[in-house]
Amino acid sequence: METARNAISLLSYFVLPLMLVGFPLYGLYKRVPVYESFVEGAKEGFQVAVRIIPYLVAILFAIAMFRASGAMEALTRVLDPVLGLIGFPAELLPMAILRSLSGSGSAALVADMINQYGEDSIFVKMASVMYGSSETTFYVIAVYFGAVSIRKTRHAVPAGLIADAAAMLIAVWTVRLLFQG
Amino acid sequence: MLNYIWAGLIISSLLFAIAYDIRDISGDKYRNGQPLPVELAFPEGFDPAARRVPVEIRIASDQYASFYRTEQAPAPSYPGYLLQTKEGTQLRFAAGSKLPEPLATIGKVSRSRDEELQGLLTGFTPAAGTAGVVFEPVRFVKLNAIASAAIDFAKTGAEIALSLVGVLSLFLGLLKIAEDSGIVFALVKLVRPILRPLFPEVPADHPALGMIALNLTATLFGLGNAATPFGIKAMEELQKLNPSEDTATNSMVMLMAINTAGIQLVPPVLLLALMGTQINTLIFPILITSVLGLIVAIVAARLLGRLPGYRASDPNRKA
Repeated sequence: METARNAISLLSYFVLPLMLVGFPLYGLYKRVPVYESFVEGAKEGFQVAVRIIPYLVAILFAIAMFRASGAMEALTRVLDPVLGLIGFPAELLPMAILRSLSGSGSAALVADMINQYGEDSIFVKMASVMYGSSETTFYVIAVYFGAVSIRKTRHAVPAGLIADAAAMLIAVWTVRLLFQG
Repeated sequence: MLNYIWAGLIISSLLFAIAYDIRDISGDKYRNGQPLPVELAFPEGFDPAARRVPVEIRIASDQYASFYRTEQAPAPSYPGYLLQTKEGTQLRFAAGSKLPEPLATIGKVSRSRDEELQGLLTGFTPAAGTAGVVFEPVRFVKLNAIASAAIDFAKTGAEIALSLVGVLSLFLGLLKIAEDSGIVFALVKLVRPILRPLFPEVPADHPALGMIALNLTATLFGLGNAATPFGIKAMEELQKLNPSEDTATNSMVMLMAINTAGIQLVPPVLLLALMGTQINTLIFPILITSVLGLIVAIVAARLLGRLPGYRASDPNRKA
């Protein structure tokens, strides 16, 4: 496992430099005016970033309000008995809810849990797997659809949330299976 | 769906904020208008004529606990000073004091211009050093909190988007070279057998498939900086195939679903920083979970797209 990980992380050091140098180099070989091409493409950067702003603001402020209102604690209390039935630990509910909503928020939650339970605790392991195995769905939706001005996202949100819910459950089960004998 | 979730977040935050605030008011959580008993010691002596006297503030834990009905305990003593003002004698806690709740919250409302917790001194007997402090009334903490959170994060949203400008430009420039030199086209041919089944609406030799492949490669290697511009470019290519201006196609939803599953071979840098070497034992479960999550995402995106409601809103449906 260790060697595999080292090999992959070694490889990942090379991917970016390879693209940064390889693309222009190959372009030169193909007689593409590389500098002009680059500038032509890069021109779009600013417009794309600006186009994303309204979508990102809309999503982020609504989620921030929700978190500041204390609704998370109330939701945790309500959902707690339901989750007991499927063997989902109550300690991880805030993480499971927050993971789809906020990337920085859920990272802070992992840090919090390390302080509270210690690195070796099974809860911290579960939270880390939750954090590492999933992306912040609402951020991805805001950025990707915002960049092409898509407002009607159809089944993107339900599909993302179903996948998130599944990932949260699977995270709990795999960690239990691997670390609790 | 997004309309309802979005409105739901905003409306429920208002309702919860009001409910918590009413609970705090009816439970008199902040003991508005009532004096908190304190003991004052004067390291430099007490001079009633001086405008400003340094003081050491001691709050007895048991008194604090019964006054605010809390289990939090104050520190043994806090530095501060007494200040003579028109309204009377103000007691100020030094800025940056580590205050227990609910004093910390009170300090956000009842504070001086220098961000010190301040309250009006009452019933002060210099000989015994006992007194009471009355703080400014604290009301509607949560309502204030949601309003300021909204303002703060509106700013954050714009900042995040604008902070992407440089990286976006870099990778969109590189991608343009990749397009012009035929790298993207070569990639399309390479990944066609894998990606075509997931994106059946995309023509077999369309550059969108190449962009998607680059996006997935960058994600796989944990290159978040590169993955986002590539994903955005893939979205733009898919949008070129979209007959509608503002409605997502099945392919776009599929790309989004694959990206939210966030499958990567290298653990996220942030997690590495938090967990240190512990991460080694977690790589395997993270990988299993994200692969299974990815499968669920793909199946969910595909099956939901077949529901009658979503089929009717498909920009590519045959009339």
